[in-house]
Amino acid sequence: MHLTYALLVLASPTAGHGSLTAARFARALLARGHRLQRVFFLDNGTLTGLATAVTPQDEQSPLQQWAQLAEEHQTELVLCISSALKRGLLDATEATRHERAAATVHPAFELGGLGLLVEAAQTADRLVTFG
Amino acid sequence: MLLHTLSRSPAHAALRDCLAVLAPGDALLLLGDGVYAALAGSEAAALLAASGADLFVLDADAALAGVRDCLMPQATLVDDDGFVALSERYSRQLAWY
Amino acid sequence: MKPVGEHTRRSILVVSRHAHPGSSLPRSALDTALAAAAFDQPVTLLFQGEGLLQLLPAQDSRAAGVRNLRKVIDSLPLYDIETVYVDAIAAAAFGIARDSLPASARWLDTAGVRQLLASHDHVLGF
Repeated sequence: MHLTYALLVLASPTAGHGSLTAARFARALLARGHRLQRVFFLDNGTLTGLATAVTPQDEQSPLQQWAQLAEEHQTELVLCISSALKRGLLDATEATRHERAAATVHPAFELGGLGLLVEAAQTADRLVTFG
Repeated sequence: MLLHTLSRSPAHAALRDCLAVLAPGDALLLLGDGVYAALAGSEAAALLAASGADLFVLDADAALAGVRDCLMPQATLVDDDGFVALSERYSRQLAWY
Repeated sequence: MKPVGEHTRRSILVVSRHAHPGSSLPRSALDTALAAAAFDQPVTLLFQGEGLLQLLPAQDSRAAGVRNLRKVIDSLPLYDIETVYVDAIAAAAFGIARDSLPASARWLDTAGVRQLLASHDHVLGF
């Protein structure tokens, strides 16, 4: 029985390790033959996509774990645009629009509206939240 | 029938709120700081045992917290693969944190 | 967004259980429910635990400089979210009277909450 999954990540990448757990869960579900339709990052979860985060060498970087997953499995990683902007996460378009010096979102992630979470809920057999 | 996931320590309201709806036939997976709720002999463990729900603990987080060898006997350790298997079995998940 | 056929419509239950002054989660929960309603998807809101405190009347957020959450909650019927569900056990624990809640609130005992959880396709805990 192969299922379609969507993940909702609300956990901050720096408070606890919920974001890393979610990334491992994503790998594990793919290994079991399921499809991962989309990972939607909302609220403090959007901080996961901050390109300028520097993680100490003896720790796993949530950013890198997700970016690798996206590269290996073409996983769609979406940051809720309103949560992201509030936290200083901007892509090139938003940086220009809001006259900020630089884009801060890692290229593995894209900004998108909550409609993408709603759409994922409609197509996914399983919607798993990591808070 | 739900898969509940609890990632806050037993001192937080998340445990109380979860217990209010947890029932036999549900599964509860403890992860993050939630693993402390399964400490053998603890108040939280007694409440969880009385809920009648099936209890699971994420292995990596139990190891991280140093509680792997002192968990209540009713709790089963699961790895990431086991976590996914639980989500296959229960079509709805509710995260408490 | 791709059009979604009637047969694939899956219902969403949003469970909001944090108090709002100290957390951004209540706002995210409401935004998620509003987005689902805007895309015409079946969505239900349940306030549980400390989340009930979002419903207290007479909230004045002007001095704090943030959004008035109760006003957002009161406006939900405008977006076709006609009913919000309230965990009666938590209300009793916080001493919240029924007449202080919005007209759209419906009280549920534990059995009612469990029924709500079981009758939706996806449950999102905020």
